[in-house]
Formats: sequence, C-alpha cells, structure tokens
Amino acid sequence: MKDFTHVQTQKGLTSHPVAEMYAREHKEGKLDRREFLVRSTALGLSAAAAYSLIGATPAAADGHRAVPAAGGTLRIQQEVRALKDPRTYDWSQMANVTRGFLEYLIQYNADGSFEGVLLDSWEANEDATVYTLNVRQGVSFNNGDPFTAEDVAANFIGWCDSTVEGNSMATRMGGLVDPDTGVAREGAIEVVDEYTVRVTYPAPDITLVPGIADYPSAVQHRDLIGTNPADHGVGTGAYEITSYEVGVGATLTRKADHEYWGEAYLDEVQFVDLGQDPAAWFAGAEADEFDMTYETVGEFVDLFAAIGWTQSEVTTAATVVIRPNQNNAPYDDVRVRQAIAMACDNQVMLDLGINGQGVTAQNHHVCPIHPEYADVPALAFDPAAAQALLEESGNADFEFELISIDDDYRKNTTDAVAAQLRDAGFNVTRTIIPGSTFWNDWANYPFSSTNWNHRELGVQVLNLAYRSGVPWNESGFANEEFDALLDQANGIQDADARREVMAQIETIMVNEGVTIQPYWRSLFRHYKAGIVNADMHPKFEINVHYLGFEA
Amino acid sequence: MGAFILRRFGVMILTALCLTFVVFFLTNLFPNLEKLAKTQGNARMTDEEVVSWLDRNGYGGSMISRYGEWLGVVPGWTRVDEETGEITGRCIDFGMDPADAPARCGLLQGDLGFSTVSDDEVSNIIGGRLQLTGILMFWAFALMVPAALLVGVLAGMREGSRLDRSLSTMSIASTATPEYVSGVIFIVFLASSQAGLSPLLVEWGWLDSGTLFLGSARSAMDDITFWNFTLPVVTIALYGMGYIARMTRASMAEVMTAQYIRTARLKGVSFRKIVLRHALRNALIAPFTVIMLQFPWLLTGVVIVETLFNYNGFGWTLVQAASNNDIELLLSCSIVAVFVVLVTQLISDIGYVFLNPRIRIA
Repeated sequence: MKDFTHVQTQKGLTSHPVAEMYAREHKEGKLDRREFLVRSTALGLSAAAAYSLIGATPAAADGHRAVPAAGGTLRIQQEVRALKDPRTYDWSQMANVTRGFLEYLIQYNADGSFEGVLLDSWEANEDATVYTLNVRQGVSFNNGDPFTAEDVAANFIGWCDSTVEGNSMATRMGGLVDPDTGVAREGAIEVVDEYTVRVTYPAPDITLVPGIADYPSAVQHRDLIGTNPADHGVGTGAYEITSYEVGVGATLTRKADHEYWGEAYLDEVQFVDLGQDPAAWFAGAEADEFDMTYETVGEFVDLFAAIGWTQSEVTTAATVVIRPNQNNAPYDDVRVRQAIAMACDNQVMLDLGINGQGVTAQNHHVCPIHPEYADVPALAFDPAAAQALLEESGNADFEFELISIDDDYRKNTTDAVAAQLRDAGFNVTRTIIPGSTFWNDWANYPFSSTNWNHRELGVQVLNLAYRSGVPWNESGFANEEFDALLDQANGIQDADARREVMAQIETIMVNEGVTIQPYWRSLFRHYKAGIVNADMHPKFEINVHYLGFEA
Repeated sequence: MGAFILRRFGVMILTALCLTFVVFFLTNLFPNLEKLAKTQGNARMTDEEVVSWLDRNGYGGSMISRYGEWLGVVPGWTRVDEETGEITGRCIDFGMDPADAPARCGLLQGDLGFSTVSDDEVSNIIGGRLQLTGILMFWAFALMVPAALLVGVLAGMREGSRLDRSLSTMSIASTATPEYVSGVIFIVFLASSQAGLSPLLVEWGWLDSGTLFLGSARSAMDDITFWNFTLPVVTIALYGMGYIARMTRASMAEVMTAQYIRTARLKGVSFRKIVLRHALRNALIAPFTVIMLQFPWLLTGVVIVETLFNYNGFGWTLVQAASNNDIELLLSCSIVAVFVVLVTQLISDIGYVFLNPRIRIA
C-alpha cells in the first residue's frame, strides 16, 4: 500500500516587507482576508506563511485539500472541445482536460491564495518590477526530458509573442511585451541558473502571478511551444489522453512509464460531453452517465440537489455586461448612457436573469471580492429621471436595438434590461443571435451583452476591456484620465491610497455610464457523495490530480 | 435495366457535385470563414488576426480553386513560413516530411478532408457515426414497418368500422406529432425521477429507484439495452408509423372493394382467408414506395432524436458540422445524404418493377 499521508509542503518566501505592511493593514481592518491572501501570495509568500503573518492556520483555509484513496474512475460532465495551442485557449474546458498532463507554474485557489505547481516558490522585489521564479526540481516531462528554467523561459517568450493570432497570454504579460516588435522585450526574461528565472518589468506590475495562473498559460516543453498538445501528448502531469472525440468524450489515463513528481489518485478520468442544454445534463445524471458536473446552472441547481447530489457553491467575479458602444450614435452621448443605467434596477436583472443566484453589482466592474474594491454606488434607479435625461439628449424617439447571444442567462438578463428600458419609455427592439455567430462581431455591436469571467484582481478586467483602444474594448470607452489612473493602480500601493485611486476609477465608470454590470454570479457544481476535492472553483478549474474518492 | 442504373449513377454524381458546390459556396462566405477562424483561433480575435489566420490556414485563395482542392483536381495549397522556413500545406500532416506529401489530396484521391472542429480526418469520424445511426435506424425500422403494416391492414380491412376509426385516429395523431414533441413528452413522462410515471412507480414499490426508462441514449453507443434505447427508437418509429399505416390502409381499403375480392366473398371464402391470401399482396405495393422513402427521411429525421437523446450519430454530426461551420465534414455529410437518397430511390424503382408486373413492360 502506497503511503498517501505525505502532503506537498508549500514553499515560498516567509516574509516580504510589503506583505508585512499588508498584514498590518489586515489587522487594522483595511484589507479582508481574501484580499490579503491574493496580494501577499502574488508577491511570493507561501500561503502558509501568509496565514501565519495574520495569525491564522492554513488548515482552516478554504483551499485545504483532503487526501483521497488511490484508484478509481471518475466521470465528469463537461464539453469536450478540439484542442489547440494552449496560448490560444478560449475555454476553461480545454485546459481542464489538458491539465492532466500540461501543468501550470502557479495555481489560484478558491480562498484567494496562489500556490506553486511547477514553481517551487517566487518572489517579487519591493516595487514589483523584478520577479525571481524558482523552478521546482525533480520534475520531468513524460518523454524523459528534465523540466528546467529553460522551459520556463521559453514558455514566457511564447506567451509574450503577440504576433500569434489569438494569443491572449500576450495581453496578460503586459509590460514584458515590446510594443514595437510585438514580442518579449530584450532582456526581460533571463535564465539565472538551471532552476531560476528572472523576469524584469519596465514599470511595476502586480498582474504577473495572476496572469500565469490563468488557464491559457499551460506549460509546454520548450521545443513544442505553439503546437497542439493533442498531437504530441508531452507534459509533466501524471495522465495521458487515451481517447479524444470532440463533442463526445475524452479519457485521461495514468501514464504507466512516467514518474510523476506529485501525487495523483485516480486511475482514469472520463469527460462526458452532453452538449450545451442543461436539461440534457440532468437527463444524463438521471441515467447515471457521469459523477460530477462542470457547472450547474439556473433551475437545475435545485434539481440536482433534489436528486441527492452534493452541492458546491462559490461566489465569483464572473458577470455579464450590457454595454452601449460609444463609437455609435447616440451612445456617444453620456446622457443617453446614464439614462440607460438609471432606467435599470440591477436587483431585477439578478432575479430574472440568473434566478437570484448571485449578488448585485454597481456597474463599475470591480467586485467586492477583489482586493482593490471601493464601495462606489451605481447611479440611482430612477426611470422618470432616465426618461427626462433621454428627452434632454434629444433621443426620445430613437429605436434602441439590444443584441444578445441565444443562451439561458445572458439572454434572460438582456431581456430584463430591454423590459425595464421599455417601462422607462425607451423604444427597444431585441435581437438574439445564435451562439455560433454571435462572437464574430461581439466587440462592435452598438448595444449588446457579453459575459466576463472571474479574474483575481479588479485591474485585470479594466486593463483588458476598458483601456482606450485595446482589442477587447467592447464599450468603445476611451478616457485619458481613466487610463492614467489605471496605470497608477497597476503598481503596488499602500492599501488606502490604492483604494482611493480605485474609487476614482470606479466613479468614472459609473458617471460615464460605461456599462450596465448588474450582478456577480455564484457558480455551482454538483457531484455524487464520496468524491473528494471536487468543489467549484471560481475560474471553473478542475485539477484531475487532486480528484479522487473518499478514503 | 443496365442503362437505367448507369443513368441513375450519372445523375447521382451530378447531383452530388451541384449540392456539394452549394454547400461549399455557403460555408465559404466570408462571415462563415470569420466564424471558423474565431472558433479555431480564439473567440475574441481582432479582424487583422482573422485575415492572417485564414491566410495561414489555406482559406486565402479563390473559392473555385479551393473547391478544386477539395475535389482533388487542383494541387493542395502549401505555404512557407517566412521566419522559420517551415512548410505547411493541405496535404502535409503533422510531423510529415513535406517532400513525401502528395500534390493533390481530395475526394478523387479518396481523402474526404479534415474536420476543423474535431481536429481529425473526416473519414475517421463519418464511419463510426454512420454505424451508430445505422443501428438506430435498424431498430426504428424493425419496430415501425411491421407495426405500421399491421395497423394499416387491420384498419383497411373494414373501412369505416370502429376498429378502422380508432386506428386511423391513432395514426393521424402519431404523424401529426413531431419527434421534438413526442420525445420530450416521453422523457418527462417515463424518464424523469421528478415527474411522470417513475416517481409513482417508486412510491408503489414497483421500481426500486431512479426511472422507468433512461432519458439519455449516450450509454447505448457502447451497450444497447432495453432501458436506454427504447425511447429514441419509439420516438422515431412513432412519427413514421402513422404515415405508412395511412398509406397501407388506403391501399388495403381499395383492394377490398375490388371485383375479385367480391367474387371470392360471394363464393363463400372466409374473411380471414380473403385478407391473408387475396388482398394482402396487392395492398402492399403502394406502401413499399413509402417505406423506401422513409430511409432518406430517417437519415435527417434522426437529427432531432439524436440531439435530444444525446446519441452521437450521423444526424448529430450534421448539426455539429453545420453550427461550427466545419466545411469539409459538412461536405462529406452532404455526399452521404445524396448517396442514401438516390440509392434508396433506385432500390424502390427496381423493387416496384418486381412487385408490379404492369410496369415491367413500360
């Protein structure tokens, strides 16, 4: 019998001057625990050290994992999509399958802490411009090659390559990418020795760690960057793909001749693709075709609970925005945008859109669980004032066309917006576009809704979606003051000062009526009794190495 | 007969060419290519990235030449990466030496192409899918045809009788209920632990737990059981059954009024013998054509049932290919569909000749 009592010890800094400042702020009540954890572990502190700085014990943390028994087959209901170059992954589902053999440098835990996977530890200097990454030793790829700093550096260079179409990692690498050449800055990534990599930013940047913990940052072999992992199957994880049929299912099996550096429990993991209709998932559950859902949505949350499955819930910064695009008339008029925001009650969208499964938001796209959240209220709900403002702008007769994708919650929420706008006296036409063609033009629709996934820091989405001229800027928002404040916020600041900047940023978002961002979604997952470490992750991550059945 | 069959094959090839060109034309319109680039590359690509992706993956040339490449009459595209010097091309697979790759690879060379969504050769996908649909169709036919003929003959024996009226009503109801209605009703009524019959049966102790039938036929892809395959089979069979039964009834009713039947009755032959010995053969000529017509209908009719019950057969593949703009998979699906339609028409024409001697002369 193999000994499974050994639990991976987390390495990392035991302290950092800025982290100590955060710890003080936490004790003074300026930072909540999650916020403290995100920030201090992003600097390179181990979760254990971070907890000890604030006098808590990691055993009590949400991210603590149980040790399952060895063996067994687990079936997970999840879409099986065609794989491609991991940098261009646009669905977490792809990463959940390849995570069985393509691991990550760092992972994000549900409690807000970051934990090293292929990195043993990392540390940031005081102003967050230089990061030293210590690569885990004793890790090898399943083709026998050792995993070293060279692989890490090669992956960084690959991530920074913005000339690759669809490489979303380049946006996450921020200042490491040279805007002139579109590839990594000269000297930004250095191999110090066999197990150390140094990353140098031209300006302070705290988004490095969250960026490389995101699902498109799967670590490939240095010679295989830019290839489809399904073609070669080379990785550091314990599993290999033994069958793969897009839209049907996939099987991961423990690779026999590969010595995995960590622990893996299941013998086999099957992904079962039952399409996109939650009713089909439920029928599949009743027909005993799988043991665990990827995500449970809407009324099916209650149904899965009714048939006795264990429910796991997590509050996230995943959301929907219903935004006018300011490059189109009349949405270039701030009064029209404000009128739209004032005509809508976010609570109604929460109730009608997602069955009340979440918390209301304030239209500025920064979530209370984000470290830098400042409580800036949305414009007051006032349909009469909205109508007056619309008339003042001279657009009372304008025919608003509100576009959404054809799917459950996004469609329902957009319907709720349209209904409220009509109640306030707007002329509204609703257009619903099927999912297969919706994304062709998603950033250019004059007035439409889009979903955004959870990100660890408030500045991340703001950088991606609201900075002037960035590719994902769907609201057409361009505001120099906002950009400048965001630059300022991207560096490390004292908590109070940083929150002040954030409050200004959020106020601009609200006053400019940039978007209706009505609620933060709670995510649900259901699984059968006896399955361990299967809890819902705020970023939909499934790590098959941790899964197993109760000992 | 030989010339007739040959002519039929000529028409078949021509039809397939026209149809595939129409499909090719529609799937290669720019918005569709843009959609393809975004599903293959990244859903949130910029416009420049889309153009560069299309160019890099061989969608840059003219539509006619690409259709030629797919047919195999024009050499496949190749492209040399300016930076790395790496050669990629239509006929060069991953890890293959470009020098070894054939110049043309299309339908004429027996290469059905590459499915972009499944990231696999179309030939690898289509075979297994067709087999699954074949099994579903076989069982649907095995249930539908005998049941329909029986209902039709029983109803047509005595036109206007109580039996005729009730069976006719049933047939009309079943034909008037499309699969997406009957399938959902079956699932709710028979395959849900929360609604319909199953909770009642559990309450009465007739069922241990769970449901009477399974509302998902996914497990039937590996292992067909009565529980997981009944609902999809019945759903398909029911819709086609009413139509065949109505045709059989009409044909039977007509035969029963024929002179020779009246003669037989006057001679005192028993009703049973009249039906079985004299009426039946003549009454089956018309339904035969209708039954053959059900094949092509079934092939596309299974789309709804396969999607509803999550049975990943040909119909399901067709939907996936269409919704994902999977060009070459969709083209192969249309070829299969043309083939099935025309071959069943051929069989029905030939079969009709054998069943009805009067046509043989013409």
